[in-house]
Amino acid sequence: MIVKCVVWDLDNTLLSGVYLESEAQPPPPDPALVAAAAQLRDRGIIHAIASRNPPEAAQYAARVTGLDFAAAECGWDRKSDAVRRIAADLGLSPDAVAFVDDDPYERAEVSFAVPEVLVLSPEDMADAVGWPELSPAVVTAEARRRGEMYAERRRREQEARAFAGSRDEFLRYCGTRVTIARAAETDVPRLHELSVRTHQFNTGGEPVAERELRRMVGSAEDQVTTVRLSDRFGDDGLVGGCVTRAGQDGTWTVTLLMMSCRAMGRGVIEALLAWLAGTAARGGATRLAVPCLVSPRNVPLRLALTAAGFRADPGVPAGQRRAVFSRSLSGPLPEVPGWVTSSVAGRVTEP
Amino acid sequence: MSSDGAPEVVAELREILARATGRAELLGLSEQTPLFGAGVGLDSLTGTLLLREVHRRFSVDVAAEDLNLDALATLGTLAAYITGHAPARPAPGG
Repeated sequence: MIVKCVVWDLDNTLLSGVYLESEAQPPPPDPALVAAAAQLRDRGIIHAIASRNPPEAAQYAARVTGLDFAAAECGWDRKSDAVRRIAADLGLSPDAVAFVDDDPYERAEVSFAVPEVLVLSPEDMADAVGWPELSPAVVTAEARRRGEMYAERRRREQEARAFAGSRDEFLRYCGTRVTIARAAETDVPRLHELSVRTHQFNTGGEPVAERELRRMVGSAEDQVTTVRLSDRFGDDGLVGGCVTRAGQDGTWTVTLLMMSCRAMGRGVIEALLAWLAGTAARGGATRLAVPCLVSPRNVPLRLALTAAGFRADPGVPAGQRRAVFSRSLSGPLPEVPGWVTSSVAGRVTEP
Repeated sequence: MSSDGAPEVVAELREILARATGRAELLGLSEQTPLFGAGVGLDSLTGTLLLREVHRRFSVDVAAEDLNLDALATLGTLAAYITGHAPARPAPGG
């Protein structure tokens, strides 16, 4: 399993000393560990803090290490609970998390309570940066900016909490911009990465090889579409994609649809579904179908499909994991949420 | 028209919806207003928050049992679904 997030202890780990025991000057960062963390960041691995310290310690660590921390749990309860909360907060499963602590007791406690977590000592790190678990095969531009994007998300969420209006008004204030375009060769590594990493908005449920994606991008039958997202807080880059095929019977089928959960709640999946329905209708289709592997993890996708007027085949027996969601393209089509400005870049042709 | 949803379930759902959307006026939501589309405008995020809260508070996993999420048509249909599927809660004062 590839690690997506490293959770760091501070005292005598990321900091060379104990934060609360220092008098005038808190301890400096540990240069070897900070270098390792920066190397992992450049591979798209994000960082978080679990420390028995007041929250100021996390802010201090961010300042002196120059790293972005996607989450920080500062407090005196069990480290395993802190690690679990961080994983849940970032939408990661525990087997995508590593934990680094100098204290053998803390390491044992986390190993025992959350055995899926990769538990490391600071001494392990020099070696561990070379391990396959910490070396993702694909490093995309989005991956390199991942830590920064989590920091942008945190600022967005802080402002949302302080915002006096409704959620819709806040999203309008954010100036959300969704750009839909035909995929190019250069998008293939990121599309592959999305197929591996996305679960909540993923119709296929399994990775799609770069070779297969490259074939589809170049094919006349398959139309591969990309979705990019940005707002006043930052640019999330390529957050989603889909593959569409026009059938002889007037039905367009979305053979694959995937979207980063970073885009959740920002109108992006809704914009894509509305665009697909509009484009298919203009292309002469009468029906749009989305075959889907149904799982407890992609409930958000089903919610988006239901909201956009899609229904599963009535013939699907209860408990069946594959279902085709579809909707008619006559009558009113789904609308792009009011807070989203969407644009279609370049020429997006019908398949 | 009254629904088959217990009144306390309806009240709790209004509170969950108001919190998920940040819209206090949903505390006065009618049982017939559609949750998707123009009515409440439930989307993938607010819908997920709603389903998670329903699962936590009433022990009803709507998404696992209802492929098309028909229960989410209106506040009334969701309340009726929960009332019909919830394990018995301990009697008050018991």
